[in-house]
Amino acid sequence: AFGNFDSSIMFMGRSEYDRDVNVYSPEGRIYQVEYAIEAIKLGSTAIGIQTKEGVVLAVEKRMTSLLMESIGLEKIVEIDSHIGCALSGLIADSKAMIDKARVEAQNHWFTYNETMPVESVAQAIGNLAMQFGEKGAKGSMSRPFGVALLFAGIDENGPQLFHVDPSGTFTQYSAKAIGSGSEGAQSTLEEGYDQNTSLEDACKAALNILKQVMEEKLTSGNIEMATLEPEKKYHFWSKDELEDLIKKL
Amino acid sequence: TALPISLSSKRGMSRFSPYVLNGGTIVGVSGDDFALIASDTRLSEGFRIHSRTVPKLYTLTDSTVLGCCGFQGDCLTLNKHLASRLQTYKYAHRKSMSSSAIAQMLSTVLYYKRFFPYYTYNVIAGLDSEGKGAIYSFDPVGSYEREVFRAGGTAANLLQPLLDNQIGFKNQTGVEPEALTKEKAVALIKDVFTAAAERDIYTGDGLVIKIVTGNGVEEETFPLRRD
Repeated sequence: AFGNFDSSIMFMGRSEYDRDVNVYSPEGRIYQVEYAIEAIKLGSTAIGIQTKEGVVLAVEKRMTSLLMESIGLEKIVEIDSHIGCALSGLIADSKAMIDKARVEAQNHWFTYNETMPVESVAQAIGNLAMQFGEKGAKGSMSRPFGVALLFAGIDENGPQLFHVDPSGTFTQYSAKAIGSGSEGAQSTLEEGYDQNTSLEDACKAALNILKQVMEEKLTSGNIEMATLEPEKKYHFWSKDELEDLIKKL
Repeated sequence: TALPISLSSKRGMSRFSPYVLNGGTIVGVSGDDFALIASDTRLSEGFRIHSRTVPKLYTLTDSTVLGCCGFQGDCLTLNKHLASRLQTYKYAHRKSMSSSAIAQMLSTVLYYKRFFPYYTYNVIAGLDSEGKGAIYSFDPVGSYEREVFRAGGTAANLLQPLLDNQIGFKNQTGVEPEALTKEKAVALIKDVFTAAAERDIYTGDGLVIKIVTGNGVEEETFPLRRD
């Protein structure tokens, strides 16, 4: 089915090929997947930084109302004791993906009595992200997911950070920013990243970058942070711990 | 070992049994830096000998060997299944399965057929994450535990008490327990299988020993009584 042909707007070569999720454009693009990736740029900023000592994830909470109960806004979640995940985009879409990641990690432990490698978890979610459309898996979405995830974890290959987007692509990064402030954040990360940074310095860097890109003033109440370390595993920072770190910025 | 499905029935005609006992014995022993697993090479059915040269050991990776005896049809199929799972794991996770992961996986594979089991007695020999020898022993439906030594198969009841005495130093007085070296373990295995071949009709013909160390898997063979 063709959508409305709009010739007056020159935006990303928009044409009648952008409505259906199972149609390639003549240039070989699937617009709906690309538009899903655009949707993430409306989401709250999330940053992940990997160091030799561990990985840090930090997100802005973006509370739209002072009356909102912040605990309900889960933008950093635990997948297993050795893997955490930060999200940005259409948060509702992420619930299914988080659940899948958790189930995969537990199934792996049940079958092999060992922790699932971080890359394998990212791969499993990448596979899930591809299951959309009429002929997709039974019970799958009719459209691509509108959320990007940053998987941070520790396995026998050391600390790792993976980015998964709606196209199902997953890539390993040393440092990555997603969401509304991602462009500015990513260039700051590229300039400043040093693989010998300590985890504490990486945490400070993440908060400093969030401070730059957030509209509101950064406080311990409007951000979330988690770290993954070889001994300590997944640790979600409390408000007090965040306060202490913010003072050191 | 009693067969799980009864042979007798009302009319005197025996009901079809999906299982058959092909005999054979396996023994697994672990040490500080090695693990070995040995099996005889006789394949029988009743008073027939099908073959004198069928070992019951299957090398799964370069650090894990599985010993598998009972119903040969199930042993072979189970091993094909495991080989396939090992490959799939390698492609998915870009590494070989560790001994402990293989043990857990075997447990789930066996329990999957809880209501029509693989008639197999399994013993895995491998190295743990610290490089120490590890033996895992299983029942036909997947119950398993890690042990220092275990005998499985038709002569298991003859051999396990002997191993308890010689390796576990049980029921001995005035003897200092010593650590088991690879050489002592191999010598012990030869004696133990010779003893089993004397009294168990299903055990004999030949002995194969596979030894897992940090350098890979070594193999030794040894003849046994053929009667």
